[in-house]
Amino acid sequence: MKLYEYQVKELFKNAQIAIPKSQLINNVEQAPAAFSSIGFPCVIKSQVLSGGRGKAGLIQFVKDEKKGLEEVARLFSLPQKISTLLIEEAVDIAHEVYASFTIDPVSGTALSIVSATGGVDIETLAIEQPEKILQTKIDMSLGLQPYQASHIAYECGFDVDIAKKFTQLLLKLYRLFVQYDCELLEINPLFITKSNELVAGDGKCSIDDNSMFRHEDISVPLADIENEAERLAMEEGIPFIQFDGDISLMCAGAGLTTTVYDLINYEGGTVANYLEFGGPHYKKAMKAMEICLKVPSKVILIVTFGTIARADVMAQGIVEAITKLKPDRPIITCIRGTNEIEAVETLKKAGLIPLFDTEEAVRLAVALAKEAKT
Amino acid sequence: MSIFIDRNTRVLVQGITGSEGSFWTNHMIELGTQVVCGVTPSKEGMEVNGIPVYHSVERALRNHEVDASMIFVPPKLTKDAVFEALSNGIKKVVTMADGIPLFDMVAIRHEALKHNAVVIGGNTSGVISPEEAMMGSFPHWIERVYKRGNIGVMTRSGSLTNEVTAMIVKQGYGVSTLIGVGGDPVPATRFAEMLPYYQQDEQTEAVVIIGELGGTMEEEVAEAIEMGIFTKPCVAFLGGRTAPKGQKMGHAGAIITGGKGDVEDKIKALTKAGALVADRPSRVGLLLEQLNVAKK
Repeated sequence: MKLYEYQVKELFKNAQIAIPKSQLINNVEQAPAAFSSIGFPCVIKSQVLSGGRGKAGLIQFVKDEKKGLEEVARLFSLPQKISTLLIEEAVDIAHEVYASFTIDPVSGTALSIVSATGGVDIETLAIEQPEKILQTKIDMSLGLQPYQASHIAYECGFDVDIAKKFTQLLLKLYRLFVQYDCELLEINPLFITKSNELVAGDGKCSIDDNSMFRHEDISVPLADIENEAERLAMEEGIPFIQFDGDISLMCAGAGLTTTVYDLINYEGGTVANYLEFGGPHYKKAMKAMEICLKVPSKVILIVTFGTIARADVMAQGIVEAITKLKPDRPIITCIRGTNEIEAVETLKKAGLIPLFDTEEAVRLAVALAKEAKT
Repeated sequence: MSIFIDRNTRVLVQGITGSEGSFWTNHMIELGTQVVCGVTPSKEGMEVNGIPVYHSVERALRNHEVDASMIFVPPKLTKDAVFEALSNGIKKVVTMADGIPLFDMVAIRHEALKHNAVVIGGNTSGVISPEEAMMGSFPHWIERVYKRGNIGVMTRSGSLTNEVTAMIVKQGYGVSTLIGVGGDPVPATRFAEMLPYYQQDEQTEAVVIIGELGGTMEEEVAEAIEMGIFTKPCVAFLGGRTAPKGQKMGHAGAIITGGKGDVEDKIKALTKAGALVADRPSRVGLLLEQLNVAKK
């Protein structure tokens, strides 16, 4: 689960990592009070989960109230319906640094990634100037040791005062990384101010979804998710991604769904959405179809080949969903796996034509989608 | 001979009394697996299909000799169950749960390496040697999917494995041993770590890798081939070739980041090492034929 910037900064603050003075606003009316408390110049930062906010014009540096109010009004009226803005003091920056923790799957350790060149896209830097990135593996059964953090700080070329502060910051950041089961915890940029203070300018945090039972204090406000299909899927925990193509995927099994996605592209079709209701969700055919029907598409393609996710249970669910939701577009089914013979019977009885070959089902979906367009 | 398990492997089942545990234990026995005992805390004295249940692994081992443990416990309890098996000296463990916290998987991998044990999973269907034995949940009774033969299969997926294996069988081949390393970003055992077993196994004449975008496990296979650790014919099928970059699509382990994990890079690495890569499941069997792998 990705957190909003303001949520990440809240975590930083609680861990005694300095953040700029800031205030959240949810509407234009709250802006003047926020401006008078933060002062000018300041930065207006849209709270959205997508990256590249700067380039998209969603972060604005303003010098006075007139310009500030203009920008606040503009950001709140954008089509993507931004519901929260962070008004933040402009920090006197001398230098920007990058620091993050993630997991290295090969060694099964944590990985500290630090660069004395911050404020840039680290993935671009990794490709263009890999020598500027310092990676350190951390045995998680021991945790980040002070000597490691200190070594990293001096390797970055910081002078003694900054190095000492950076060492402490890295140790705090690692503790937070562990405390919240983060897939990624990042400060970028980390400001080094002209008065030699370290301040987290921006933060990213992605918490491992599988660990959410340990973090009941954390949640992302679902009301902020504008897309109805996406919000429904998130509420159910069903993996879902919307695209703008013609074929809506309602498949089970992550690898199989990804493969069906590829096959559609090979056959010249386009995907309207990725939806995977296998594993723990195989009894949720009704919800899955409800979500798919909220996505504009020409056809719904259902492909499964489950073991624990039993074919008969999914077929039954699909028939119930069709009966109740009365879909306005064709449904193609290719349901196999445990109890597949019963599944075929159920689908036939409901008037569906069960297919048994994935590639045949994909070709039919692509053909129907093309037909519907002409 | 198969690898990892055979008719002689004595299996303990942790979480044997749960609905999945008892259901799949019965299927494991039906296929010929020697399940000797089970463990569920608080259920000692019970029997599941004639298999005695104990409170703890240590208590079970007082009465039984065990070679491997099959773990059917929920994701939250998996780390504890794996640690229990490992600390009791069990060297082969299969753990199925989908949804094990990432940091728990890091700890499990670390502990497995420390104990010099092989832990397979999580987020997997397990291990099966058709007509021999299985640890996990495979619809082994569907003959068009699970037929005995000479093709070793390794996979990160569940449903996709059924799909690809059905295509291998359709082409007239069968499977020696299938190992699902699982779809988590940090699997306890990686593809390349199992290759030496397939190399040694006389029954296995070729290996099929079912991979996907994300991570570097497929590249490690290519490396093992280039280093001569694995010299038998190898065919790969990789899902997510057309997936949008930076998007978590599919398994938790399937995301392209930091310039690594792109399927095109995996294909390049595997092809360079001499493996053949199928662009769709139905091509896997044809490529095995192209490599002159005998059908037996």
